[in-house]
Order: sequence, then structure tokens, then C-alpha cells
Amino acid sequence: MNILLSLTDNLQTFWGYTGFANVETGHLIMILVGLLFIFLAIKFEFEPLLLIPIGFGILIGNIPFNEAANLKVGIYEEGSVLNILYQGVLQGWYPPLIFLGIGAMTDFSALIANPKLILIGAACQFGIFGAYIIALNSGFEPNQAGAIGIIGGADGPTAIFLSSKLAPNLMGAIAISAYSYMALVPIIQPPFMRLLTTKKERVIRMKVPRVVSQTEKILFPIVGLLLTAFIVPSGLPLLGMLFFGNMLKESGVTRRLAETARGPMIDIVTILLGLTVGASTQATTFLTGQSIKVFAIGALSFVIATIAGILFVKIFNLFLSKDNKINPLIGNAGVSAVPDSARISQVLGLEYDPSNYLLMHAMGPNVAGVIGSAVAAGIMLGFLY
Amino acid sequence: MIKLKRNILFVGAFLLLSLTACGGKIKNPQLVINEVMIVNESNYMDEFGQRNAWIEIYNNTAATKNVGGMFLTTDKNNPKMYAIPLGDVLTQIKPHQHRLFWADNEPFHGTFHTNFKIDPTRENYIALYDVDGKTLVDEITIPAGMEADRTYGYEIDGVKYDNSGNILAKVLDRATPSSNNQVVGENPKIVSLKETDQEGLMLTITSMLVVFVGLILLFLIFNTIGNTASNLSKKRKERKSDQKNVEISTDSSITGDEIAAISAALHELMDDQHDVESSVLTIQQIQRNYSPWSFKAQTLRRNPRR
Repeated sequence: MNILLSLTDNLQTFWGYTGFANVETGHLIMILVGLLFIFLAIKFEFEPLLLIPIGFGILIGNIPFNEAANLKVGIYEEGSVLNILYQGVLQGWYPPLIFLGIGAMTDFSALIANPKLILIGAACQFGIFGAYIIALNSGFEPNQAGAIGIIGGADGPTAIFLSSKLAPNLMGAIAISAYSYMALVPIIQPPFMRLLTTKKERVIRMKVPRVVSQTEKILFPIVGLLLTAFIVPSGLPLLGMLFFGNMLKESGVTRRLAETARGPMIDIVTILLGLTVGASTQATTFLTGQSIKVFAIGALSFVIATIAGILFVKIFNLFLSKDNKINPLIGNAGVSAVPDSARISQVLGLEYDPSNYLLMHAMGPNVAGVIGSAVAAGIMLGFLY
Repeated sequence: MIKLKRNILFVGAFLLLSLTACGGKIKNPQLVINEVMIVNESNYMDEFGQRNAWIEIYNNTAATKNVGGMFLTTDKNNPKMYAIPLGDVLTQIKPHQHRLFWADNEPFHGTFHTNFKIDPTRENYIALYDVDGKTLVDEITIPAGMEADRTYGYEIDGVKYDNSGNILAKVLDRATPSSNNQVVGENPKIVSLKETDQEGLMLTITSMLVVFVGLILLFLIFNTIGNTASNLSKKRKERKSDQKNVEISTDSSITGDEIAAISAALHELMDDQHDVESSVLTIQQIQRNYSPWSFKAQTLRRNPRR
């Protein structure tokens, strides 16, 4: 009889430690969200390199466990493995490393060949500040509103970097929101691109960009860094690493370093960043009314950025000669979801004129958007930190 | 050419404007003698239960600073009056934190008890010298006749000078040993934004302006570089064509399709020149690099020697 009682006791204790005993509705909802991310990544190939680690991270982060037992397994429990890996997000050193890799893999030739496309990247940053206004008027504090606004920059690392400084409690929601909408860019942008352009505008053929010399390519990261970082020094961790990565690529003498930065290094950091951001969505701390608001404002910020880019091109065209007109279908590419938003310009362009290839033109505003969002993040940090 | 000159002029004007902003602004010291109490009657007590004059040093940087080995003095002619002992971890001051020294002439009471006292009847000069005993880190002169339990220092921690370079030291409203002279509960930037820009419009306009200015400058610079590069390459081409007397067509009316067709034809032609390779099977030699981790001999036991 005693053996039976002891066995029951043991089993009861064990049951208290299982996920089944500690599960809450929030965990199940988040597990479903994680599964949806994995499904979207595999079925539709929406940013699989991000959505798979994040989606799986959500599953890991939402396995219920006995939090009172201090098992040091959860991401928010100091000293746990996940918590140690999460420090890269919290302290903001994963995003600059990702930017180093982005710099080493980005070819800025399209931008150098046609520098006026930089301005589209600037116009799209209105998405950030538009979302800031909306968030501020939705009851968020200015620093929280700034962190939410950066979702409109469509740049995951920048969003994580800024929110880790301005509103660490909202970082999970902001990061998930930014990456989700980046993956959903093919669904969000086209309706607005069609709505805001005429048939005539969609078939505008842009001048073939000139060939860019190696000297210009080498000068770009140097001038880019000096200029942008002098104006917004608070964006230095992102801008410095972005242009440094590009210097490694373009200098032509550091091939090994460039390959490491754009290959193994960015892959490792992406895995750690994606997984820990996903795991940070532990339902007990993540599923709040605020997170839902963040998602809603995040979606609006992408829409505002897209509209701002397209309208800017339309207005800009009024001042350009007939030969130099820009196809407004590349206006959306100023949203720095590289290279997805540029790819959308290409797909839509081909839909209306099968021989009008817009990809190389769209890459200009696309990479300008990366610089623009890093500058905007620096400004936000300067004003709100 | 006119456009190029205009761009250079614009960028030049901006750079000139930036250079004029480079003023000789006086910097606050990295370690500041932040607050001093001369007459301590009913204020802060040391670990021996005694009340004495105290000197608060503030780390004005974003890095940990070690004051171990530095010197505190009340005499300009004797900078090495009290050597702050080396080897005490507590002499490390964390970023924007404070450390308190007792001017009690009791150096054997511990690292933070100096070998001098302060005379409340006269003006007092206090200085902190670097480890070499020659480089002055910070100094402060406290006027004579300080009231009991009142302190002299800076209202905002570490802010010694105003924009015109005037020293801001004064008798403070309240004594705050080892803590901030001005208690800040909320981020002042956020407070001011909440008051002046509730809708967020001003911040939006300012920020967009900065983003545009930054990227317009980048545009102008690369426009200028691009124009210069294409002018140079044009000149180089002209020179080459003059030398060879061959005319190269730079007709921009060729469409993408035509270029693609020409490229495809050229590819075909070049491919035809290599008619053998496609039917030859090439076996590349695979080189296995030596690795001690997978070397079999390392895992096998050797036969015993007889």
C-alpha cells in the first residue's frame, strides 16, 4: 500500500513538472502561431531563413514548464542557456553583426549608378514616423512609440536594436511584428502599388544604369559612413558595421573576410537571433493587449511606408525630364525588406510589360532603405533614449 | 559641367558649415570632484561612527575608472599629498557613479580615509591628480565660511562648465553623499516631448528632414563622383579611339532584347569552338585532408612488442 502511495506521490510530482500540467491557453495560441510561421516559410517560401528559426523558436519558447521550480530553462530565467543566447538580442550586439553580413553581401552599384534613387529610400522612412504618430496617439509613451515606429523601417536587426534600447518590454512583439510583415511584403504591398499607379506609369522604362567603376564602389562605404555617421552618430553600431562589411566586399583584397561575414558569420547570428527572438515570445510575458496593438500599428507602418515611396516617385517624376522618369512601381522598394520588396517591383513590372525588368532599378531604393532606416533609428535613439 | 560645379558648391558649403561648428568647447573632466562637505555636524557618518568633511568624486564617463594610484591634495605645491591606495577593487568607479573620501586625517581607517583634514575657517583648494602626480584631473575651490551640513559642488553631476566655459560650482540645496546631486526620475527628453509635442508631429518633421538632408548629401556626392567618373572615362575613350582611329558605336537606342540576342549569338559561337569538352568525362581527384580526429591509427591499439 505504501509503495502505491509513494508511486502516486512521485507521479503527481512528476506531473507537476510536465508541460501538460502547466499549459495555458496563451501557450497553445503561440504554438499555433509558430506552426503558422513554419508553414508559411515551407509552403510559400516567405523569408524562410527568418521564419523557420523564429517559428521554431516560438515552439521552444512556449513549451510550458513549472516556472516556480527555478529549473533555469526559460529564456527569461537568468543563467539559462536560452537566456545567455538571448543576451545578444537584449544587449543589441546581434543586429550590428547581421548588418556586417548585409554590408558584405550588398552590391550598391545600382544606387551609385543612379544616386537619385537614394531619395526614395529616404521617403519610405515616413512609415517609421507615421507609425510613431499613430502609436503616440494610441496611448504609448514616446520611447515605446519610437520603438514601435521602427517596424516601418522593415528592417529586423534595426527594429531589434532600437527596441532593445527604447522599450525592452516590447521587443519580442516588435521583432516578431517586423519579421512577420517583412515576410508578408508580397501580400501587403502589391494592392497599394496597383491602387496608386496608372497603367501608363507602370510601363515606364527606365534608363539602363551606367557601369560603376571599382573606385566608386570603394568610395561608397567610406563616404557613406563618414557622412551618415557624422549626421547621426547614434546610428553608428548599425551604419559602421554595414559600411565596414561593404568595404570588405569592395576593397577586393579581403575576400576571405567578406566571405566569412556574408556566409558563416551572418548564418550563425541569424540562427541565434531568429531562435531567441522566437523563444522570447513566451506566452506568459508576450501575449498582452499591448502586443496586439503593436501588431496592428506595425501593419499600418508598412502600408504608410509603401504609399510614401510610391507617391514620392510620382511627385519626383514631375520634376524629371522625359528620359529620366522613374517607374513608380519601384517606389515600394524604399521599404528596406531586402530583396523582397525589390522583387515585387520586378514581378509587377513584368506583369504589365513582360520586357521591362525593374529589379536592378529597384535594388537602388531597396539598399537606400537599409541606410535610411539605420539613420532613422539613430535619430530616434538621439531624441528618445 | 554647371551641374557638377553646383553640386560641389553645395557639398562644400555644407562641409564649411560643419567646420564652423567645430568650436573650442571646454570639456568636463572625466573624473570630477563633484560635491564637498566642509563642516559635518549632523550629516553622513563613516563606518567608525565619526562625522568628518568628505569629498565626492564622480566618474563622468561611460567606462569604469580606477582612481587607485591617483592623488588627492589640498595644496597646489604638494600634489602627492594623499596617494589613493592601489589594489583595492573599490577604487574602481562604475560609469556615472560616485566614490566618497573622508578628509579625517585617518589614513589607517581604510582606502577612503585621507591623511589630511580640511580647515573650515579658510578657503579650501582640493585637487585630484593623475597617477603621475603631475597631471591635474580636476580641482575645486570651496569658499571660506561654509555653513554646517551644507555642501559645495555641481547641481548636475559632472557638469562643471556651462556653454561659455564658466564654472558652475555653488552651494547646493541639499547634501547627497554618494548619490546623484539631482534626482532624475524620468527621462527629461521624454518629459519635454510629452509637453511640447504631444501629437509627435514636430519630431516627425525634424526626423524626416534629417533623413532627407543626410541622404540628399549622399546623393549629391555620388552624383558628383558619378559625373566626374563618366567624364573621365569618356575622355579616356576619346583618347583611345584617337590612337586606334577606330570608331566605337555608343548607340543607346539598342534595346535590351537586342543586347540579349547578340550575347546569345556570341555565346553560341564561343561554345562551338569547344566541341570536344562536352563529350569528355572529367574525373576530378578528391583530396582527403588529414585530420587527427578521424585518423584510424589513433583509435587502434598497437600490438604489444615482444
